[in-house]
Amino acid sequence: MSMRSQVYEWSNLAPTGQTSSLRRTVDAVPVAVPTNREYDIFIGGIGNNITKPAETTATQFIVIEDIACSAYLGGALQVRINTTDYFQNPDVTDQAGVPGLASPYPRGSSNDAAADTLEDYTQLLKSFDLYPDVYVLPGQVFQILYSLQSTNVATTQTTVVAAFVKYTLYDGPDALIANKLLELGVTINPNNVDWYKRTLIEQQQRSRVAAVATNGGSA
Amino acid sequence: MSMRSQVYEWNSQTGTAATSWSNTNTGNSVSIFIGGVGNNITKPAETTATQFVVIEDVAVSPTAFMPSATVAKGTTYRGLIAGGNGSAGACNGVIGNRAYIQVRINTTDYFLDPDNVGNDGIPGAASPYPRSTNFQPCFNLYPDVYVLPGQVFDALVTCYQNSAFGSSVATNALSAFMKYTLYDGPDALIANKLLEMGISINPGNVDWYKRTLIQSQSAAPAMA
Repeated sequence: MSMRSQVYEWSNLAPTGQTSSLRRTVDAVPVAVPTNREYDIFIGGIGNNITKPAETTATQFIVIEDIACSAYLGGALQVRINTTDYFQNPDVTDQAGVPGLASPYPRGSSNDAAADTLEDYTQLLKSFDLYPDVYVLPGQVFQILYSLQSTNVATTQTTVVAAFVKYTLYDGPDALIANKLLELGVTINPNNVDWYKRTLIEQQQRSRVAAVATNGGSA
Repeated sequence: MSMRSQVYEWNSQTGTAATSWSNTNTGNSVSIFIGGVGNNITKPAETTATQFVVIEDVAVSPTAFMPSATVAKGTTYRGLIAGGNGSAGACNGVIGNRAYIQVRINTTDYFLDPDNVGNDGIPGAASPYPRSTNFQPCFNLYPDVYVLPGQVFDALVTCYQNSAFGSSVATNALSAFMKYTLYDGPDALIANKLLEMGISINPGNVDWYKRTLIQSQSAAPAMA
């Protein structure tokens, strides 16, 4: 299993009295997310986090295929590879990234988190597709940064916000092939990795047949 | 019929009172096949020496997120129940079970966090079951998951929200779904061959391999 579809879901839910936790906990409560600041969904110190920054080892290659976040409160997601932000303004200045309105999570959720209008809501569809995909090369660190423009804290309530990333992890020999495809300028996806494997096998078979022919029919 | 599309649906409330989902299960991963909760089968799901399984989709009940303290526990929103600890008071803003589904092959979890630690799997919010205009998928299990001959496979559901599972099959508040293709006999051998060749295993490619074999066989007598 050296090509694996992977997902990571983050939300600002943490045990009562804490702002974050490793992995998830039962009946966690929403915590405040300061506005206009970017928080790494992996190790940002809010909600469910993991033990260390997300990075690829020397034998791994990651292709990020989709990102999405809550569509309300002006939420947005940015992808950062090492220190470089992926989404930029046309004048090459920083921006927040893909708005939750363009790539909502969950799909079909409302653009208004207020619960007092349970019968009156929209069901958002995505208007953004992360294509071409984002490549994380061996040894690189990647961050998915969530930010919101409006506060998620009111007098008596705190709004739950969430983010989602879907990626494919290529490991071992398949990561080497992914690197080779990158050199060749071929899009990295499971089909093309399989195509490259088939090409290698066919080449080996041809050279074996040629060697037999050279030796006068004996292997 | 040696290639067969198969499905398995699990509902947490189809068992007796003793075997239906309760808050004691929240936070623990439960097998949808032999977990002792809801509808189960007689033995762990496994392939025989002449079978090959390709898991193509997994899904679990969805979750909605909203402000805390605005919905009372027990309120229904988009078909989901507002749960949480205790039976009264306001919900924490998570509507539904906050459920996840993980695929396990033998003892290895398929879905990992970026720190290479096994996680809870696919969120129901990303791969909802059932799908609706309210809850649409943003996850596609591609590449598929292969279960080779002789391997044991499992799907584990984990929930993090108490009291959101409903009380009967009719409420259908916590369920899971798996879609897979079972290759048996000669088709399982072909599936193994395709795996060796680095070709995706699907019914189209298995048929393509059969056609190739037939063509090479029919070409051989003509040469003789």
